[in-house]
Amino acid sequence: MTSSPSTPTPSSHRAASFRLRHLCAPRAGRAAAMVQLGSRLLRGRGGHVIIRFALGGCTNRPFFRIVAANSRRARDGKYLEQLGCLDPLPNAHGEKVAGLNLERLRYWLGCGAQLSRPAEKLLGLAGFLPLHPMTVTGAERLRRRRQREQQTEAAPADGSAETDTGTGTGTAP
Amino acid sequence: SLLSLRCHSQQPSDPSAILKLPAKRKLMPTVQGKAAQPKPAFTDEAVQTLLYKMTGLDLHKVFRPEKKGLKPPHYKLMTEAQLEEATRKAIEEAKTKLIMPPVLNEREPIDDVLAEDKILEGTETAKYVFTDLSYSIPHRERFIVVREPNGVLRKATWEERDRMIQIFFPKEGRRVIPPTLFKDEKLGTVFQQDRHEDVLNMCIAQFEPDSPDYIRVHHRTYEDIEKHGKYDLLRSTRHFGGMVWYLLSRKKADGLLIDMINRDLLDDATSLITLYHMLHPECQSAKKAKEQKLQGVDLIKVFVKTESQREGYIQLALQAYEEAMATSSAS
Repeated sequence: MTSSPSTPTPSSHRAASFRLRHLCAPRAGRAAAMVQLGSRLLRGRGGHVIIRFALGGCTNRPFFRIVAANSRRARDGKYLEQLGCLDPLPNAHGEKVAGLNLERLRYWLGCGAQLSRPAEKLLGLAGFLPLHPMTVTGAERLRRRRQREQQTEAAPADGSAETDTGTGTGTAP
Repeated sequence: SLLSLRCHSQQPSDPSAILKLPAKRKLMPTVQGKAAQPKPAFTDEAVQTLLYKMTGLDLHKVFRPEKKGLKPPHYKLMTEAQLEEATRKAIEEAKTKLIMPPVLNEREPIDDVLAEDKILEGTETAKYVFTDLSYSIPHRERFIVVREPNGVLRKATWEERDRMIQIFFPKEGRRVIPPTLFKDEKLGTVFQQDRHEDVLNMCIAQFEPDSPDYIRVHHRTYEDIEKHGKYDLLRSTRHFGGMVWYLLSRKKADGLLIDMINRDLLDDATSLITLYHMLHPECQSAKKAKEQKLQGVDLIKVFVKTESQREGYIQLALQAYEEAMATSSAS
C-alpha cells in the first residue's frame, strides 16, 4: 500500500499520536498529564471549545444541560464545565425554567468558545445576545404558513357556501 | 418689550426644574425602614433595648426540649463557680436565640420591561424564565427575566424570583411552593391549638421579611393573640418584640398591659408605656409624662387615665397588684 504524506497509514498515525503524547507530556499543554485526551481528539490539530446542549433525562422526558465542551466530544460525553440547564417541558406554573451561569459563560466566550445554533437562539431569547435572525425568520415563516392555512380554510368554506346559496336560490320560489 | 416679558413669566422660577434629569433606574427598589424621622424605627437602639427587656429571658422556655432524636440525658458534676460559668454561657446562647427578625415595609411589585419583540408573538406556547446562576451575586441583585409568549422580555415578579432562587439555591426549611398552612382559612385551626410560635418560625423560614405573605401571617397571628389574650405564648421568644411593635403602632396596648400587671411585671409595663410615648409623642399622656418626668406606677396611671380604652380593667388590676404588694411587704 503506497502511503502518500496526505493519507496517514494506521502505523504512522499511531506513531504520530505516540510522538505527540510524549512530546507534549513534559510541557503543560492539551495533552498534559492531568487531562488524558482520547485518540479521537488527538488527530493532529483541530477541535475547539463549543457551548451547546447536552441531552439528558428519560424516555419522553428530555432535559438539556448547557455545557462547554470540546467540539469533537460526544454530545452527552465529557465536558469542560456545565454552564446551565434548560427544562423544555413547561412546569405547573406554565413556565420553561432555564438557568444560565452568565459569569462563566462570559469567561468561555472570552476564551474564544463557539456557540451552537440552539444555544445562540436561547441566549437571544434570554436577552444576553441579540435575537437570532433565524428566530425572527422562523416566526415570520410560521405566521405566513398560518395565514395561508386560514385563507385555504376560508376559500373552500366560501366556495361551499356559494354553491349552497346558489342551489338554495334556485329551489326557492 | 411685552413679548419678552411674557416669555420670562412663562419660564419656571427655579432653574433646577429645567435641568431635570431622568430618575435613575435601580435594579431593585430600595427597601425602606419602618418609619421616617422623627418617628422612631423598629431598629433604633432605644426601641430595641426596651423590646428586649420586655421579652424576658426564661431559660426553661428558651431551651425547652425540641422534638429531636432520643438521647439519654447527660449529667455533669460541677462546682459552684463552674455552674455559674455554665449559666452565663447559657444566657449568652439564649440571647443569640432571641435576636428579633426584621420588621420591614411591604415590598414594591417589580414591573420593568426590558424588550418588546412583537415578531415573536405566537411562536411559543409557554413562557421562559431565565435565572442567572453566577455564584458570587447576592440573591437580591440576581437577574431573573421572563420571556412571555407575546415576545415581551420583562423582569420576573417577586413570587417568580423567590421560586427560582429556591429551585437553584435551596434553603433549608423553605419549600418551592409555600405550604397550605399559610392560607387564611387554615391558620385558624393552628391558632386553636396554641401553636402561634411554630407558625411564626415556619413563616420566617419560608418567606422573605418584606414579602406580603410574611407580613400577612404575622399580622394574623398578632391579631389572634390580642383577641384571646395569649400574650404569654410569645414571651421569651424572638417574636415578642415584633408583636409589641405591631400592637403599639395600632394603639392596642391595653390587653398586654393588663396581662403584664397580672403577672406582676411592673418594669415591663413601664417600658411598654415609655415605648408607646416614643411612638406617639403627640398624645396627651406623653406630654404629661414629659412635663412631670413621671416614673413607674405613676406613668401607668397617667396613661390609663388619658389613652386606654379599658380603664376599668386596668384600674382593677393595678389595685389588685398594690394590695398584693402591701400584704407581701407586711408579712
